[in-house]
Amino acid sequence: MTIIRNHDQPQAGYKNLPAGKACGHTTHIDTLLQSNPNLWRGVDMAGQGCHGHSTGFPPLDNILPGRGWPHKGLMEIITPHWGMGELQLLIPLMRSIVEQGQWILWISPPYLLYAPALIQAGINTDQVLLVKLDTSCKDALWSMEKALQTENCGLVLAWQNWLPNKVLRRLQLAADVGNTLGVLFKHHDSEHSPSLMRLKIGDSLPSEGQFNESEVTLIKARGNFRPLTARVNFYQQT
Amino acid sequence: MEDPDSAAQLPLPSLPDNSTARVIRLHPRGGAKSLGNAATTTKDAGSDHCRSDQQTTNRQTASKRNCLWYALYFPQLGELNKPQQEKYLHELAGLVQSVSSTVSFHPLTLICEIRSSLKYFAGIDVIHNKLKRQLGTQLSAWGLANDFLYAASPTVTASLLLARSGRNTLVYQKENLRSALGKLPTEVLDLDKEQRRRLYNMGVRHLSDIWRLPGDGLRKRFGSNFVNQLNKALGKVPEPTRNYLPPPAFATSCELPYELENLDRLLPLADEMLAQLCDFLRRRDLATSHLLFSLSHEKRSSTKIELGLRQASRSQEHLMLLLETRFSNLTIPAPVSAIKVEAKNFDAFSGHSDSLLITGKPATRRYNDSKLSQFIEQLQSRLGEHHVKRVNNLAEHCPEYASQQFNLNALNDAEKNKPVTTEQTASNPRPFWLLQDPVQLTLRKGKLYHRKTISLVSGPERIETYWWSGSNIRRDYYVAREANGSRLWIYREKGVEKNWYLHGFFA
Repeated sequence: MTIIRNHDQPQAGYKNLPAGKACGHTTHIDTLLQSNPNLWRGVDMAGQGCHGHSTGFPPLDNILPGRGWPHKGLMEIITPHWGMGELQLLIPLMRSIVEQGQWILWISPPYLLYAPALIQAGINTDQVLLVKLDTSCKDALWSMEKALQTENCGLVLAWQNWLPNKVLRRLQLAADVGNTLGVLFKHHDSEHSPSLMRLKIGDSLPSEGQFNESEVTLIKARGNFRPLTARVNFYQQT
Repeated sequence: MEDPDSAAQLPLPSLPDNSTARVIRLHPRGGAKSLGNAATTTKDAGSDHCRSDQQTTNRQTASKRNCLWYALYFPQLGELNKPQQEKYLHELAGLVQSVSSTVSFHPLTLICEIRSSLKYFAGIDVIHNKLKRQLGTQLSAWGLANDFLYAASPTVTASLLLARSGRNTLVYQKENLRSALGKLPTEVLDLDKEQRRRLYNMGVRHLSDIWRLPGDGLRKRFGSNFVNQLNKALGKVPEPTRNYLPPPAFATSCELPYELENLDRLLPLADEMLAQLCDFLRRRDLATSHLLFSLSHEKRSSTKIELGLRQASRSQEHLMLLLETRFSNLTIPAPVSAIKVEAKNFDAFSGHSDSLLITGKPATRRYNDSKLSQFIEQLQSRLGEHHVKRVNNLAEHCPEYASQQFNLNALNDAEKNKPVTTEQTASNPRPFWLLQDPVQLTLRKGKLYHRKTISLVSGPERIETYWWSGSNIRRDYYVAREANGSRLWIYREKGVEKNWYLHGFFA
């Protein structure tokens, strides 16, 4: 970015432009740069630009690059147990995906998916597809890869505890191809994972009165270079 | 069989075996009156009228001039109900196809064109005997009387009427139709009760009585259908018929020159067979949603691969993709020696047309839908149908019955108990995860404990149901919070034991 500002001589194409307009052009480039999620500028902190998909939780938006969930790629959400609020985190995302007419595929969820909760969250059950828990790991990964490659699955949620980096990389590439967001739920963090983003939902702090905030740590995100933590109340409604 | 060439001359109308049959060769009476509004009285004008008919429907009448319609009337089918009649007639039509390629359905009657078959079979007697034998065995197999009434004449309707009269008449020339039909009682016509009564009151007993009546008057009194029927019988108006088309069936097989162990090398062959299938489907304007591949092995029972489609298709690429997916996951017990493809069912093809104008969302969504259903089929063919489910909400008080999972193919059932709207869902919070079997919670130091200590957040919500069925459900549900931050859905039994259970995670 600084390089562009330091351009003393305008390039051939801009020669005819008056000086005032060239300046306006630079700011235009700024906005272009900020809205490009693939461009990582080391000097900038997270939160630049607004190209993300808002999470619905302002404290979390603040620490995510692009102020929200990425539009495509593989995300890992790490929780010590299932049921720590990881689905509450995704409700606004799921709702907007269903509203766009896309489907949500749930691959081997650990418990029974309960339809009334989906309805309450505003998620149309007609656009929800389940792959049952008793499918083999290989088949589950195959379906996840296929689903990520298919453009009309808006969101693929999968529960797989341990996956080698090679597999994660393959899934990440599939998600890039299909323009789909995939979410892997795991118990353990794997370092050097090639996925786009790794989030950890920690044990909430010992209850301080009525505070119900859980700690969400952004371990890794493309476009961000250091771990950040936000405290999010998943159960705003209750 | 006699050489057809030796009987180059049409055989003279010979008497069928049945002694009641008679051959009528009469010359047209002078002053033939045609019926209808354009009725003319002079013979010349009448033939002019015929000529104009011929011009308008020239091809049809030109071919009709040489037609001989053979009607088979099965009065015994009248005792059966409608669908059964239809089924039997279809099966009989299959048999009648052995003498003619043009078979059409009429009430209790099959009519086929036999003029073109006369030369081959060397006479109508042969055809009649052949049919009588075949149909007789079939009819007696169904436990019905094994004979039928028949007639042949140059028009479809006349054959129908003649056969109904039961006189087994054979009329070769169109000019003779009028007098042949004239002898028939009016009962053979398709009339309703009122029309019948009126005809009777007019003193009309035979069709020849009708010939004497003015056409426009008849049209006025009995409607144009009645007059049309008579005109059709006389060959004055075209008679479009819907021909019997044998039900579609497709099966093709291929013996391999040598045994193959590698399924990938079978794919080009399967591709070719699918191309044949898709070609067949396109010609019949059909699509298929269920295919059966069988790979035969030496000295072993063959491997069967069933391909089920969510949406009937006739796209070769799509079917091939599904087959490849199946093959990728398939282990064969022995090398393959032959491959066979069979279409198990056929559906009407429903294409969709894209809008000329770019409407944006709806068009792309429909496109996406077809891609999505292809993806779902792929999933199903790899994982098995029982592993891909959908969820649905039911209007139920009991929490464990309020959600159901069902197979995609059971979609129609699901449509019946239409998904519950938001108003019908419980207003109290419900968890995303439900435990199949509730876990009993323990008490430690007077506090509920699961993984960590539990404190209640909200509740209770009392659910009492199924008291009428013996399994009395009386529970107080609470939303609780575990010390590590997860939200739980727990309940306390209201019975004798008052235990606490964990039933779900809000996740």
